[in-house]
Amino acid sequence: MIDFSTDQLDALAEVFNIGAGRAASSLSEIVDSDVKLSVPRVEFFKSSEINASALNLTSDRIGAVRQHFSGSIEAEVMLLFTEERALNIVREMMGSDASIEELAEYEQEAMCELGNIILNACISAIADILGVTLDTTLPIYSVDSTELILSQIVSDAGQPVMLVLHINMTIEKHDSQGNLAFILSSTSLKELIVHIDRHIQGM
Amino acid sequence: MDAIPKTIFIVDDSSFSRKIIHKHIAEKRPDWIISEISSGDEAIELVNSETPDYITMDINMPGVLGTDAAEKILAKHPAIRIVVFSANIQESMRSRAVEIGARFVAKPVTEKSILQAISYFSDGK
Repeated sequence: MIDFSTDQLDALAEVFNIGAGRAASSLSEIVDSDVKLSVPRVEFFKSSEINASALNLTSDRIGAVRQHFSGSIEAEVMLLFTEERALNIVREMMGSDASIEELAEYEQEAMCELGNIILNACISAIADILGVTLDTTLPIYSVDSTELILSQIVSDAGQPVMLVLHINMTIEKHDSQGNLAFILSSTSLKELIVHIDRHIQGM
Repeated sequence: MDAIPKTIFIVDDSSFSRKIIHKHIAEKRPDWIISEISSGDEAIELVNSETPDYITMDINMPGVLGTDAAEKILAKHPAIRIVVFSANIQESMRSRAVEIGARFVAKPVTEKSILQAISYFSDGK
């Protein structure tokens, strides 16, 4: 579909790895627990190929926080996680004395804020490494069946090539896992590669 | 005679974020008078009638960006100490905060980040 050199793929994985590392560091501060990262793997899919198994999602229902980043590169970035674990993280953010009513009242905003922090940490690292400035929309949180959320993502994005960064962030204390995924249009992917090439040349 | 209590605006579109910041500040500085404000535009209006000592300012909010709001506020009220408290931790955002005379503190809101903000409010450091 898209041909990349080994150097380009290595540089892409490294840039995303640093981004995910910063995201994990932020998450670790929120939950006050170690967050383990899997070795990141970058894969490209056509829209028609996107499904739960392609993204290694095993749960029937997932939560998704999405944000659109624009500037030199346009990207739809999302954090996907298993729904039932999410409330544990909200509780951690609010303090252990938070009541069930408070958790329910603030779940929507808390998950937006959690995604906002994690996605921005990741994207900010990438922007800094590549020497670009990216603007961001406000986060949107939805929770639904995995297939419905994925079909919405694909249809909203139009005709994209989907760059998926497979990275599992495991919170040791909660046995929770999340995935980061990036959708870039083919034009933005080319832009990203231009910046990656500059980054490689500058190394 | 008791000192006049300090006043602080928490400016953030997320009620959740405001609640967490409020809780941490109230724990550390129970004598401070805290107001929650949900937009930069509202903060720009309100500082003219109820000028606070300190402000925590989110960046990405509906309406005016927090950094732009902080710039406008500091132009009229240079004595206010503003901490730009944001998840958007790009170098360009940090630089922008410094340029306008504010302090940048990265979210998430934790005891550590709140102490950074309070240190700046209290000592300018």
